[in-house]
Amino acid sequence: MYHFKSLIASTLTAALLSSTTPAFADFWSDAAKGLEGTTIRGISESTPPSNYAKDVLGPAFTKATGIKVEFEATSWDQMYDKAIKDMEANTGIYDFVYIEQDIIYSYLARNFLVDVTQALNENPNLKSPTFDPTKFTSFIDNFKNDKGDLFGVPMEAFIKVYLYRKDLFDDPKIKEAYKAKYGADLAPAKDHKEYRQIAQFFTEWGKANGQEIFGTTVQAASGHPAAVYEVVESIFPTYGVYNWGIDTKAYGASVANGGRMNSPEAKAALTWWIGNLAYAPPESTSSTWDEVAATFAAGRAAQGLVYGENAAWIATDDKKSNVVGKVGVALPPVEPGIIEQATSGAGYIGYYDGGAFGIPHSSKNKKAALLWLQYIGQDSVQTDWALAGSRITHKATYEDPKVQAQDKKVDGYYTLMREKGPLFRGAPPFPFHNQVREAIAPFIYQAITGELKPDEALDKAAAAADAELKNLGYRK
Amino acid sequence: MRANSVGWLLLTPTLPILFVFGVIPFLYVLVIGFMNWNSFAANPDMQFAWAENFRRLVFDDQFLYSLWLTLKFAFFAVLSEIVLGYFLAQLFMKDFPGKGFFRTIHTLPLVIAPIAVGATWRLLTVPGLGPLPYYLNRWLGYEFNISRYIDQAFFTTVVMDVWHWTPLVTLTLLAALSSLPKEPFEQAQIDGANRFQIFWHITLPLLKPAILATVFIRMMDALRTVDEVWMLTGGGPGAATRYIGLHIWRVVFPKTDYGYGSAMSLITLYLTIVMCWMLYAGLVARRDLKRAE
Repeated sequence: MYHFKSLIASTLTAALLSSTTPAFADFWSDAAKGLEGTTIRGISESTPPSNYAKDVLGPAFTKATGIKVEFEATSWDQMYDKAIKDMEANTGIYDFVYIEQDIIYSYLARNFLVDVTQALNENPNLKSPTFDPTKFTSFIDNFKNDKGDLFGVPMEAFIKVYLYRKDLFDDPKIKEAYKAKYGADLAPAKDHKEYRQIAQFFTEWGKANGQEIFGTTVQAASGHPAAVYEVVESIFPTYGVYNWGIDTKAYGASVANGGRMNSPEAKAALTWWIGNLAYAPPESTSSTWDEVAATFAAGRAAQGLVYGENAAWIATDDKKSNVVGKVGVALPPVEPGIIEQATSGAGYIGYYDGGAFGIPHSSKNKKAALLWLQYIGQDSVQTDWALAGSRITHKATYEDPKVQAQDKKVDGYYTLMREKGPLFRGAPPFPFHNQVREAIAPFIYQAITGELKPDEALDKAAAAADAELKNLGYRK
Repeated sequence: MRANSVGWLLLTPTLPILFVFGVIPFLYVLVIGFMNWNSFAANPDMQFAWAENFRRLVFDDQFLYSLWLTLKFAFFAVLSEIVLGYFLAQLFMKDFPGKGFFRTIHTLPLVIAPIAVGATWRLLTVPGLGPLPYYLNRWLGYEFNISRYIDQAFFTTVVMDVWHWTPLVTLTLLAALSSLPKEPFEQAQIDGANRFQIFWHITLPLLKPAILATVFIRMMDALRTVDEVWMLTGGGPGAATRYIGLHIWRVVFPKTDYGYGSAMSLITLYLTIVMCWMLYAGLVARRDLKRAE
């Protein structure tokens, strides 16, 4: 009897599935009717999540809809250069562009982007039943305007974490040597003093043991914006200097104008960061975010601050990484009291980065692009994407068994992101990131080369930022 | 008159292209140079700013430093290319085993795109990976890091430019040397002139037009260098290689300060023209003037 009931239930389930599944499976081909053969062009930074979208999701979308996806994955600066020029000149070359969390405010200020919510309301036949903005993590809020309308569909989100070499930190001989030298246990650094001590120890240990290993990575490319970003987004907050040190109401950067860019805390932060260069590999002064990850993956550094999008491949991909199975993950070191400020919401300890794909107002294939954005925003594509790019944009992805299995291999990176993510924050809502960054960059670069002392560099940077903000008309 | 008409007729297809791609963009930049226009400013609209952008330039330390740096770069690069190119041209005038092979190899950099040249030199010099820093450190104990030491970065960009463009100078001077008449040299030898006297009083004056043309071309190229250096150093470390082209690019694109960037472009163009004119006036017109007297 029991078997008979089971059989009936199975038959009914199968019948139900066979009647409903095609409706969902066919949505893409139905919605794309008339758009087959259209080519949508997009541009993004060449990162693990973008490359997955290019190599896996693009072809899958084409198979489902007949819409071709031409995906340009290029360098970060080229990506912005091309996307902004296209949208500014209204040329319509791109149908979707990468929107990093910090640039959205500039794009919204210029009305560069299509309102996805409104576009879907106007075209209900294009609204996918499998795309649901409520399934995303709160990171999606970065891409909404004041009314709650969505302007970009998140494709990556990650935190900049402290990676360390677990194998070295757990090595009994190394632990013993460390304790003998500093009288303390070797463990992931909680504050800047400990971090420096560990950096110094491993640099000396590497030399003494004839190994090419250094104490820390530093994202200090001396002619690339990556250095500026590391200072203002990852180091300043750990000293309690938030929002790049710029006052968010009066738009002043210097202490004299209400900012904190040249405050004692900011100067201490830059001095500490520059000091780390003595314990970093020689390539540090030419390292952007990519090279920092490569340095760590090559096994050339004992610890470092690394963008989380790289955590998975560094810890698991033995074709690219020499440190598979040897990676530990922790929160960045901070000054006393900073964790408490972050927990209360008054501050943050590091950078919550990520980005979305949005449709430029100049796009000539908005409908096709709208389908693409929903396709990459489905729950069903998230897990494998997370495994390839250690990025999570959907709440449910954390629960997926595959992700949980990888979480163990990456020393709990995903758990850390889920539980401690609120301690991190994206860039402040300024519409002038690029302009201020370019104004202060020369002084940060000169601090790296030693042409300016950190104090002088920040005094000059703050003055330059003040002047730029005034010139732009934000500061009265 | 007929010759003139034929000349204009032959030029006709080129003139509209020149007008569209040369004159119109120049006029556009000229107009923008007098505007205050940053698309991410509180007011993103174009506003007439009179000569404010040009006034700002005079007090802009970074612009003036970039300008000075570019002149220094052009001086070292062009001088090295002329001297080296001359000696290589003289070498190729003689016969030696493997001459054809060496000449081909020597000419190869000319056909490489500047961006690829920059990428190649970056791979050669990048600290921690490049063979150049590795072997300099291993064999000579010399720490070579162009992302950290400003003088090393500057001179590496000069060497890269010399490597890329010396073949052009060599080929130009080789063509000029090949076309020189033999008689003055034979006469000088009969008169007992030594090698230096022959070089100074005969070779150099005869080569002067070719050298001048090459200097003009190379100087104008060096003053507007961007792509190679952008690829190699990105203008760093610090501002050590932030030559004027790169500086303008940063102001116009990442900073989106179109008005100010246009003013910079115009001043740079003006200075380039003035410099070329001064060179021409000092070296060519003076000689013509003497002849006229």
